[in-house]
Amino acid sequence: MLLDVSNLTVCYDRAMLINDVSLYVEEGEMVSLVGPNGAGKSTLLRAITGLVAWDKMTLKGTAEGDITLKGNIVFDGKDISKTPAHEIVRRGLVHCPERRRPFKEMTVRENLMSGAYLHMKKWDVQQELEKVFKLFPVLGDRLNQVSGTLSGGEQQMLAVGRALMSRPKLLLIDEPSTGLAPLMRKEVFNKILEIKNLGITIMLVEQEVASVFSMASRSYVLSSGKIIAQGKCSELLEDEMIRRTYLGL
Amino acid sequence: MRIVVAYTRRMLKILRSEVLVLPSRVAVLVFVIAILALPLVTQDYYILRIMILTSIFAILAASWDLLSGFTGQMNFGHALFFGVSAYVTALLNLNLGFPPYFSIPLGAMGAVLTGLIVGIPCLRLKGSYLALTTLAFPIILMGIVFAIPGITGGELGLSGLTKLTGSRVNDYYVTSILMLVLGGIMWKITDSNTGIILHAIREDEVAARAAGINTTRYKLLAFCLSGFFAGIAGGLYAHFMRLAGPSTLEIGLSFQVIIWSVFGGMVSIYGPIAGVYILNPFMEVLRVILDNFPSLPEMRMFIFAALVLLTLRFMPEGLIPWLRDKVETECPRCKVRNVAFRRSCRICNAAMT
Repeated sequence: MLLDVSNLTVCYDRAMLINDVSLYVEEGEMVSLVGPNGAGKSTLLRAITGLVAWDKMTLKGTAEGDITLKGNIVFDGKDISKTPAHEIVRRGLVHCPERRRPFKEMTVRENLMSGAYLHMKKWDVQQELEKVFKLFPVLGDRLNQVSGTLSGGEQQMLAVGRALMSRPKLLLIDEPSTGLAPLMRKEVFNKILEIKNLGITIMLVEQEVASVFSMASRSYVLSSGKIIAQGKCSELLEDEMIRRTYLGL
Repeated sequence: MRIVVAYTRRMLKILRSEVLVLPSRVAVLVFVIAILALPLVTQDYYILRIMILTSIFAILAASWDLLSGFTGQMNFGHALFFGVSAYVTALLNLNLGFPPYFSIPLGAMGAVLTGLIVGIPCLRLKGSYLALTTLAFPIILMGIVFAIPGITGGELGLSGLTKLTGSRVNDYYVTSILMLVLGGIMWKITDSNTGIILHAIREDEVAARAAGINTTRYKLLAFCLSGFFAGIAGGLYAHFMRLAGPSTLEIGLSFQVIIWSVFGGMVSIYGPIAGVYILNPFMEVLRVILDNFPSLPEMRMFIFAALVLLTLRFMPEGLIPWLRDKVETECPRCKVRNVAFRRSCRICNAAMT
């Protein structure tokens, strides 16, 4: 098992955002996490990759409350629930954050380099860059362009490319289709499939259930911080209640 | 002999193909030559004094830009580093008799330590909270300075330090060349991989962490680096003025640094340096001119404020980036900068629009 989250609970002050969630990801598969707005999907990803603990510091600074995080997160055989975010990335669990978040004033090349930062000395970064360009030829064409001027779809590809530069074993992608035209969404999803075929395990968080279910093997349905259904995508689709209430199909 | 000729030829070739093609590079070259040649033109005591102080403040402003401009950690109390280093340098020089080339680096190390001490509590803070917290530190230290006059000299400060060098011209060369070298190092830092990381932290700290950057370490590094360069400036100041007083910790100095940097153009290193070199001598010239009209009320600060306000109204990015955009354009294809009047790019020959 590549990632094994058991009994994870996240509270912001007294509000429970993630309630006793357990999930796992096997090596080589593609798992999706779906659910309505505010279900806690992004919080769950942030908790797994150690970014919530960062919030804890800033929230304490502005006196808005404390965050408590309980449960076990085991990645690649090691517990990472208390590991800082940059160390988690080093071990190969990379989070491609929501709303893309490229560094807008930097060029495409600098953006990608910042993703490879952990390994600049060890690896041939150029080779890594070429791999990304093979996947996303658009980025190769715009190498010296400031990334704030890229289109939404290109920025999404840049964000995924940056995540790939850290050589992930498991890639967590948070809502790659936000704010994209239908055609662009399709392309982004195709690229994600290509990445999966490269042998990288993927956990995909998405609102657009139809496309995701056609790609992923298993799925978790999250609602109000709880996992209310899980299993093979085809089985989930058969359950009338889940289909109507949570998947909107 | 032949080696010298070949070397000169290569230098000339680089000069022609790399430096003379861009107005900004020519400007830097002219600036460097002008700085180095100034004592050949005049050895006036007063002018050299102004230029020495200008170069010291240029180091200070550039170090602020490294921390607040590049890394985005708004520091409103940059005089802290300057003052700590000035006091440490003075104490080492007066009590232990360290010569300047020893006491100034040690003073800068004191400022690095201060950077660490200040940086750690500031790691959690962002934006205006950070600005207010950093504003408080020099005020706190000033209170301590006044509280123990036996060590720090209280309001009078510590005076009677060893001279920086024997003569004013030598003083000028030491500070100016240090300014050029340290400015170059800072620019190189911002241009390196470390620079990319600092930039990433400024733009989006969460995304930087998600990309695997240890933001804690790099924010502290920025504090320490900035503290080091500001500390060198503080040590030079103490030895040049032969005095380390509470004025080095004043809020006024902290804000002066910010005004210089914003006026010259933040996030560029050369902008703040240029800002100091324009505003500081300008203020002195203004003083000389206004002294001829004693009937006028104190107009100096008013003119200064008006100038800064007007600059920021019409050039919100600062003077130097604005000028640079006027004389240079970016190639639409390969993003290399070109002189504005060129029709085609000097690298890829693409048409410039």
